[in-house]
Amino acid sequence: MKTLVIGEIVNDELSSGTLEIISKIKVLNLDFSVITVGNADVTNIGSDSFSNLYLKSSSNKLNLFNCANEIKKFINEKEIGLVLSNSSYIGRDIIAFLSVDYKTSPVSNVINFEIDNNEIKTINSINGGESEYITKLTSDINFILIRPKSFDQTEVTLNDNFETIDVAENEYSLDVFDVHIEEKTGPQLEDSKIVISAGRGMVEASNLKLIEDLASKLNAAIGGTRAIVDAGWMPYSNQVGQTGKTVKPDVYIACGISGATQHQVGMKDSKYIIAINKDEEAPIFQISDLGIVGDTLSVIPKLIENL
Amino acid sequence: MKIAVCAKQIPDPANPIEYSNGNVIRPEEQVLDDTDRYGIEVALLLKEKYDAEVTVISMTKIGTQKGIQQALQMGPDKALVLEDETLIGANSLMTSNVLSELAKNVEADIVIFGTESTDGYAGVVPQQVSRILNIPCISYVKNIEIDNDVTLTRQTIEGSEKIKLPEKCVISVTASGVEPRYPNFKDIMAAKNKEVNIISINDIDFNIDQNMEFNELNDISSSKDGEKITDEGEAYQVILDKLKEIKAL
Ligand SMILES: Cc1cc2nc3c(=O)[nH]c(=O)nc-3n(C[C@H](O)[C@H](O)[C@H](O)COP(=O)(O)OP(=O)(O)OC[C@H]3O[C@@H](n4cnc5c(N)ncnc54)[C@H](O)[C@@H]3O)c2cc1C
Ligand SMILES: Nc1ncnc2c1ncn2[C@@H]1O[C@H](COP(=O)(O)O)[C@@H](O)[C@H]1O
Repeated sequence: MKTLVIGEIVNDELSSGTLEIISKIKVLNLDFSVITVGNADVTNIGSDSFSNLYLKSSSNKLNLFNCANEIKKFINEKEIGLVLSNSSYIGRDIIAFLSVDYKTSPVSNVINFEIDNNEIKTINSINGGESEYITKLTSDINFILIRPKSFDQTEVTLNDNFETIDVAENEYSLDVFDVHIEEKTGPQLEDSKIVISAGRGMVEASNLKLIEDLASKLNAAIGGTRAIVDAGWMPYSNQVGQTGKTVKPDVYIACGISGATQHQVGMKDSKYIIAINKDEEAPIFQISDLGIVGDTLSVIPKLIENL
Repeated sequence: MKIAVCAKQIPDPANPIEYSNGNVIRPEEQVLDDTDRYGIEVALLLKEKYDAEVTVISMTKIGTQKGIQQALQMGPDKALVLEDETLIGANSLMTSNVLSELAKNVEADIVIFGTESTDGYAGVVPQQVSRILNIPCISYVKNIEIDNDVTLTRQTIEGSEKIKLPEKCVISVTASGVEPRYPNFKDIMAAKNKEVNIISINDIDFNIDQNMEFNELNDISSSKDGEKITDEGEAYQVILDKLKEIKAL
């Protein structure tokens, strides 16, 4: 089955989500190509083992409608039967546009898929990851949105072997300004082996200093719940959960987090989960390997002191 | 200016969601998805600026329409609701086709959505509607500034960017920078007199095939039999020992 991956750029590189999908379809031995959509000048997104076409739009335009039109040409010419992308920003927009053009509903929140005799089966996560169901896809062309961190990323060797098309603009292209790229300092949430996350149980923004100190001792990345992101304690890029990032570190330490399903969906697949919460009934304990019923503000300082 | 704003009715999230064949089991009484309160807030800010007419649009099963009332209580002018039992389990494209017809019906210039619903969280319906209606799509909007003109800030994979509101577009709003208003007693009473126009699938131009089959639903209980201790001042030591044991230190 001829497969197309829609790739995204983060910090001038192929996103980790894109590389996870490529890793998976290499294992499945599918005949695949990549089309990457972005606005930045990039290098090193090509490969000798697959083709990558870079659809570049001007840096001050939101131009995804036209990118979808370009992708359509490619799909028709190459007779693509399966289109995959990450369920993140650009991927969802593009796949949604294409799904209308091909009159085929996409499947979202897919955490795994199988292809057997040209029949595609997806496993979708629903209900904050508490249930999953299997869907059989029966159209001539099918669209799948993959949740980040569903597949392990294997070594993908990249080079400058890719082609670039400057995508034209039309009345659907919108001018953008004040483009802000969030600065990334310290270990990255998605890649770090240890993640320490804070919730409202840290009581005040100033107490996040404790989380920072602990993180620097453990060389860990810092995450947070939507409650504290909304309260302005932390930037959105640190949010873990349904509407934030999905992480899967070796160790996840949840400090003062209740464990709402929307938070759990972003972290419950972490290998070892430690939770500190003063409410012994907090739902986070249901998915923890080690639960500490106690006050974050007294446990964390002692941890830092003894590291 | 005419605005259509989506209000999805969902089972009360206070109770666990139940499924049948991959579809949410929907009770007679459903409530407004909190996610849509953010879109409604944006619609109301635009109403104040442009004296726009705001219509709530929704696709739902037959029921009490409590969620529609909750949406109207926040301040929209009226509602257009498509009630139909045959649409239970509709996929995103069927939903988008129906919502597009509703938006056309009220001659909306701007159509506003939540970014992803709490029960479905497919997060593709707004973009599909923009493609169907053939108007630009501004997805993942997290803030709105209103002065001489209207500026939207959208979340991107790397950070954010700003866009001036065009004459016609679809917007999806994420739960973030805007603070949905709470209706007071007067608003709640006023909502009871607002027009709620209920139509059925036969009243719109709709014809699309379902292309997916749902199979088994498996509950993957993620509940763990973890260790739980109460901190008596020494819990830090247990954590340190564990971190060493699993070789994280
Ligand atoms: C559509 C939608 C999407 C969402 N997306 C996300 C998402 O992506 N990510 C996300 O995180 N949330 C998300 N949420 C919000 C989610 O439902 C919860 O509201 C949020 O996760 C709660 O954050 P919290 O645990 O910090 O706060 P709370 O739920 O208020 O929990 C605070 C916890 O701290 C404990 N505590 C208080 N003081 C102390 C102390 N001194 N020591 C120890 N423990 C203490 C309390 O016992 C409590 O359990 C979403 C919600 C919706 C509706
Ligand atoms: N049945 C519906 N009625 C009204 N609005 C809906 C419906 N389904 C989806 N939406 C809107 O589309 C957004 C995205 O939904 P979803 O694609 O299900 O995640 C929601 O936040 C709603 O604003």
